[in-house]
Amino acid sequence: MQAENYSALHEFWTNLRAIPSHVYRAMFRGGPPKTDRTRSSFIFGNVFLHLHSVRTHLWSLRWSTTMGLGIVTTAAFLITLVTGILLMFYYKPYPDIAYQSIKDIHFIVPTGRFMRNIHRWAANVMVVAVILHMARAFYTASYRKPREFNWFIGWGLLVTTLGLSFTGYLLPWDQLAYWAITIGANIAQSPREITDAMGITQWMDIGGLQREILLGSDKVGEEALIRFYLLHVMILPLTLAMLMAVHFWRIRKDGGLAKPKDADERVAEEAKEFYPVFTDSPAKTYHLAAVVKGKTSAVDSGPEHTVPSMPHLFYAELGVLMLTTLICIGLAFISDAPLKELANPLVPENPAKAPWYFLGLQEIVSFSAFMGGIGIPMLCVIGLGLIPFLDREKEGTGEWFGGPGGWKLVKWSMVVGFASSILVEAFAIKFGWLREWFPDIPQLIITFVNPGTVLTAIYAAFSIWAVRKYNSTRAGALALFTCFLCGFIVLTVIGTYFRGPNWDFFWSPSDWGGH
Amino acid sequence: MNKNKYLLMVSSIGVFILLAAAAVSENFLKDWHGIQNSAKTNEGPIDVRLRQIVNPNLKVTDRCVTCHVGMASGEQISTDLKVGAVHKPVVHNPTEIGCTVCHGGQGQATEKDDAHGNVHFWTEPMLPAKYAYASCGTCHTPLNVPNLPTLENARKTFERLDCYACHRLDGKGGTLRPGGNVTGMEGPDLSHIGLKGYNAEWYSAHLQRSQQETNGAWKTSFSEISEPDRAALKIFLDTQMGAPKLVEAKAQFNTLGCAGCHAVGNFGGDAGINLSLSGFKDPNQLNFTRVPGEHTLSNWIVQHFRSPASTVAGSQMPVLGLTDNQIDLLTLYTLSLRRRTLPDLYLPKDRVRAMRFGAREFANNGETIYTAVCSSCHGANGQGTRFPGLVANPSITNPDFLSLASDEFLIQTIRSGRPGRPMLPWGERENGFTLDEIRGLVAYIRQLGGNVQATPDTQPQIWAKGDTALGANLFTENCAGCHGKNGVGGDGPALGNKAFLTNVTDTFLVGTIGRGRQGTVMQGFANPSPIRKVLTQAEIESIIVYLRSLNAK
Repeated sequence: MQAENYSALHEFWTNLRAIPSHVYRAMFRGGPPKTDRTRSSFIFGNVFLHLHSVRTHLWSLRWSTTMGLGIVTTAAFLITLVTGILLMFYYKPYPDIAYQSIKDIHFIVPTGRFMRNIHRWAANVMVVAVILHMARAFYTASYRKPREFNWFIGWGLLVTTLGLSFTGYLLPWDQLAYWAITIGANIAQSPREITDAMGITQWMDIGGLQREILLGSDKVGEEALIRFYLLHVMILPLTLAMLMAVHFWRIRKDGGLAKPKDADERVAEEAKEFYPVFTDSPAKTYHLAAVVKGKTSAVDSGPEHTVPSMPHLFYAELGVLMLTTLICIGLAFISDAPLKELANPLVPENPAKAPWYFLGLQEIVSFSAFMGGIGIPMLCVIGLGLIPFLDREKEGTGEWFGGPGGWKLVKWSMVVGFASSILVEAFAIKFGWLREWFPDIPQLIITFVNPGTVLTAIYAAFSIWAVRKYNSTRAGALALFTCFLCGFIVLTVIGTYFRGPNWDFFWSPSDWGGH
Repeated sequence: MNKNKYLLMVSSIGVFILLAAAAVSENFLKDWHGIQNSAKTNEGPIDVRLRQIVNPNLKVTDRCVTCHVGMASGEQISTDLKVGAVHKPVVHNPTEIGCTVCHGGQGQATEKDDAHGNVHFWTEPMLPAKYAYASCGTCHTPLNVPNLPTLENARKTFERLDCYACHRLDGKGGTLRPGGNVTGMEGPDLSHIGLKGYNAEWYSAHLQRSQQETNGAWKTSFSEISEPDRAALKIFLDTQMGAPKLVEAKAQFNTLGCAGCHAVGNFGGDAGINLSLSGFKDPNQLNFTRVPGEHTLSNWIVQHFRSPASTVAGSQMPVLGLTDNQIDLLTLYTLSLRRRTLPDLYLPKDRVRAMRFGAREFANNGETIYTAVCSSCHGANGQGTRFPGLVANPSITNPDFLSLASDEFLIQTIRSGRPGRPMLPWGERENGFTLDEIRGLVAYIRQLGGNVQATPDTQPQIWAKGDTALGANLFTENCAGCHGKNGVGGDGPALGNKAFLTNVTDTFLVGTIGRGRQGTVMQGFANPSPIRKVLTQAEIESIIVYLRSLNAK
């Protein structure tokens, strides 16, 4: 039944004019996010945003809580994703042609050089940020129950990030790439050192198998390139995206960011700026969690001292995203991504160096491959991965350097971590190592007694001392983690700046000669 | 909470500014944009766009023409623009084969330093204009090149016989003569005749034609040519490949005996390094710590010729005392020793002949062989040489030597060399000298030594009789000082060398020991001397018997 003076034509004209506002309303059903309720529905009604909780605790928004490192990592990933997809339009994964295509990207593809520079810098920012993010999570004791599993996922993300960066390293197919990957593949082959010493390589060549799986051949060639390409553009990004989804989801399900027990009191002053939570309809329970039983952290606690995530959290997140973008673009302006000569299997680079984040490993690999390349890294990954299950204390959660010992212990651990790694390295550089002293020593001893092993032992002893002194597992963890971080820094710096041709020690790269 | 808002605002503005800057520099600030904007043809401004020459067969993608717009096909730049110049006429069409095949540099690059290859990590910078002809060596191998005096003589012969009257050569002669058709006429261009080949009967054909004509250039500019002149012309024509400077450089290489120590391509000695790719060294990999001047490959080569051991630590190469001009030519030749993988379509005949059929790269007459291979050790005149720190090399044109050494002895010595000594078995090596070449070489050596022929020897090879023990004593007393204990050699030649003893006749030894070699420290032991012992015929024969006993061991 239609009204008498209804005109379909007029209706059509009105609808036509109203299209923009109707489309807008159809897209954002809750209306403009102006009240707490519409702000909430803005978030849970949006597929991209609903991983966020609709309200954010003020503690989480403090800059000192996370320093935004997780978002920096995510932002860097998004930047590499966008620039990487753009680069894929021009990149051709085949030996020599790959190099030519990078040259084309560099010289003639519109903004190609810029995009490649951003991609390269964002990748490095991501590696640095993921390491710092891990350190942040550790030092604020945010790995504890119920967040143990998310710490695991975080480790997976760290390894995947390194894998992404490493596989991307080969793609330009220049000398730098070729020999870095050759070194990397040789590190993968290092279990052969053990099997050789035991005389069983013939039957069980784990190292050779690992290398062959990595390269698809016995040398770095077209098979390796296509393998690395596939890993770099598909398998690893998908893995990373999936792990990230779980990681974010778990943050929410584990009760948001870790907070100290007295967080509410400490943000009380800031909270006064905001309306109390129950503005719209004080009589109603805030959300369903109130009637849910279980271990979810939000159960039994009111959403006080929180602010709507829209817009407060999003300002923070977008701010960090744009800051990261600014840093990557700024670096891309200052420095071009390297491209050396075309890969030439007949002319080894000397020194051939792995990507910078593996140079600490390469440094200890130079003494013995197995311990440096497999033994100690595995120890780190397993040992540090298990920290949340070994340290189940409560004290200090959510606090920087929280727990027994605190900042003072961390300071001393830094002294021990730096001093022992520098001294052990200085000793090994000055006086040589086992093979120089005892040329006839069995290979197995050389394999296992590596400066890295010695350092690990020192660090372990120090952290046992810390456990006993403070009668706390957290103290031991603080000591151990700090020491390893310092050792990683020292070894990486030595490998990067002080090792030259034939992996000899040089005070400065300008003394290398040749070039 | 506002600080997050400010963070977002400030970093967004920063990102926007940087992106805008990137957009401006990408679209307006590139050098080649500026160049193309200022370049105009007679029809007006040219399109501003990337230009390139692509040749998939040669794996060439040369964007040089993006700046050097005048060299792109079909655009005549009228503006007074240095980079807008047109390529001068050359044999190979640059719009077909591109730029980098000849000039080096980085074809894909679109910025000056990158494109000219003067950056780290580009292994093949542009060849300096001065050595541009070296680039022919990328594909070509000049064959049949004589030594420099012979080439000079051949060129002068070509000029003297007025061949330029009708024939053009490297842009000179033919109708380009002053006066045009009055004195000159259009004959075939001979610039590449050495590559193309020519009618071997050209002389009789020319002669016949000139006898038939009654006037004109055929009559005025051509007459009978003597046998030696015709030989010189043949040498000259065989080497014409459109790259006179490169041929001259190679002739210089063939004059200084470089091949005696260094191998190039399919032939040469092994005392020095193989030079086959020495024009393709990566300047970034060279050590310039003790090299004065700019860090380019050509300068490195120049300085190396000046003072080898101070450029390459531990180099055995002696200081050759070369003139600047010689160094220039040798540098050009060294730079020409470069290679590029070529599809068959582009393989020049000369390279096929040299690579696949082992064609001799230098003319195979006795004189060129001597100057190209032997002269560095035995001297330009065969008088022998001595470089500091190295074994002295014997004189081979000494009349006392030549009168005793039979042709067979010389041929056998050249063929088999002296194992363990610097003298290589030149006839028994891979791609070594043929018997004919060695005969020509021996004839040239005799010519160098004033045409001294060997005195005919009717004796058998071994006839000396004497006492080995006595000979041994006498050798130790009189000879070992120079010839070494047991004849292992010292300042003097190694007399205990098996190849020598197998080959030498007793007549040669008796004659040499008795009469000595005038002009050398080897004085005749049969001659009266106030400072050394005079040996009797029997004593000399005993020494020879002793030497023969060394061969039996």
